[in-house]
Amino acid sequence: MNFDHIDIIQSLIDGVLFGSIYALIGLGFTLIFGAMHKLNLAYAASGIAGAYAGLMSLTILGLPALMAFFIGPITAGIIGLLLYFACFRFMPRGNHLAPLMASIGALFFIDEVIIHETSGSPLSFPAVLPDAYFFLGEFGIRGDLLIVMGFSFILMAIVMLLLYRTKLGLGTRATSQQPVAALLCGIPTHRTNGTTFVLAGVLGGFAGCLLAASVGVLSPLLTLPLTIKGLIVTVIGGLGSIRGAIIAGFAVGAAEGLFLLVRGVNERDIYVFLLLFLFLVFRPNGLFGTTINRD
Amino acid sequence: MLEVRNLVKHFGGVRAVDGLDFKIKQGEVFGLIGPNGSGKSTTVNLVCGIFPPTDGEIMLGNINLGAIAPHQRVDAGVARTFQNIRLFGDLTVWQNLWVAWRDQPGQEQGWVSNWFGRSTSRRQEIQKLLEFSGLGDKADHLASNLAFGEQRRLELARAMAAKPKIILLDEPAAGMNSAEVKDLCHRVLAMKEMGMTVLLVEHVMELVMNVTDRITVLNFGRPIAQGTPLEIQNNKLVQEAYFGSSENAQGGGN
Repeated sequence: MNFDHIDIIQSLIDGVLFGSIYALIGLGFTLIFGAMHKLNLAYAASGIAGAYAGLMSLTILGLPALMAFFIGPITAGIIGLLLYFACFRFMPRGNHLAPLMASIGALFFIDEVIIHETSGSPLSFPAVLPDAYFFLGEFGIRGDLLIVMGFSFILMAIVMLLLYRTKLGLGTRATSQQPVAALLCGIPTHRTNGTTFVLAGVLGGFAGCLLAASVGVLSPLLTLPLTIKGLIVTVIGGLGSIRGAIIAGFAVGAAEGLFLLVRGVNERDIYVFLLLFLFLVFRPNGLFGTTINRD
Repeated sequence: MLEVRNLVKHFGGVRAVDGLDFKIKQGEVFGLIGPNGSGKSTTVNLVCGIFPPTDGEIMLGNINLGAIAPHQRVDAGVARTFQNIRLFGDLTVWQNLWVAWRDQPGQEQGWVSNWFGRSTSRRQEIQKLLEFSGLGDKADHLASNLAFGEQRRLELARAMAAKPKIILLDEPAAGMNSAEVKDLCHRVLAMKEMGMTVLLVEHVMELVMNVTDRITVLNFGRPIAQGTPLEIQNNKLVQEAYFGSSENAQGGGN
């Protein structure tokens, strides 16, 4: 086993580029956690389900390939809203276990529906992204992943703009910090939370489509690893920290790239998942965690 | 303006509010006082809808507040402050006001400026409210970084930003020193001059006796006296129930 610095940097570059998908998923987890202080474990699965819906709109309706990036996120947004009503809206506010269990149930439900509809076999996703490859000195950069990253940055910028510059976003953050005061300032809590689920769902749908397009395949085997990687990103970023989730997404991508180089594709995820435990034990507030302050 | 009829709230076996009636007139500062646990804060929470009453009616003009959701009561014209400060700490001072902002009826602006808050006339109005609250130079500070007195003033400003018909002040002087209480007296009187209607729940007698027009005294969830500050001060029943029992704890019964 011998790697020179070029191998290492190359795998970091690949990892960071792919990490933009994890950053999107982590951002979605964080949006929902920020709004309700609860985890939606079915979130990553809803993104994959959105990607499936996008793919089916191509095969069944014969739409042009790029339409997957329209149908997918919309479907994922609708699934997000359904998850909100099924697992969160009517659960007692103080009960943290019930929505968590419900969302695990929803995760397996979505998985089962996908397996049932596809007979469990992977489907190939059209190569909508250009198959270009650039060289930057000694390092190669995959053009499709570069587009994935650029597109992710645009989505993140839109989310940040919404959250920090619009009344809707400020209302969401106000609800997150002081739910009772926000309600009594005239911010409709339930509608705000529902909107957050839709917004996060759309984000997950984009992530699912980008993942499928860059891997070239959609499989029910994607949901669980993506869920866990989303959780890792959320934990490393510090539960509820938007900026943390984005940075952690790229960091987890980079770590994954390194593990891939050092231990190969079969063992890669083992080490990535170990990160979750390492952080939960030694840095439970993550790298950018804020102390949660609310009654 | 605000009329409460036969209001009752039981928590299990505890009768927090037990048959309360009062009527607040337009432009009046109305005091609700009583010993700890007499049902004052519960009354405020019932009016703004944190929990539903066991029985009774709460009318704002001809709107039955009991029939609408808490956030709709803000549209109907109810705003409040909190005994323990509940600002949006990660938002700036300006954003705290904007998130609660309602345009004056008849001057509502389009959704673009509503979303992005860019309209100059609204910015000027928010700035005016900040000046009134003595926070004119703090607009871009995070609310959590303000000093205690400033946070209290920001809470008051946030309640005013909703353009309410009535403002509920839940122990606004709690934790204040006497200079701050004096400042708050001026502020409440200024609000009254601006034509606002106020329901004041308070322990600090200096504030209550200086700013209110009428007072209702609660004990064990029931009204035991009603009248002007002077009448209340001279009421034997009140002295027994309130000042007698709690002068050491409150130190404000002079």
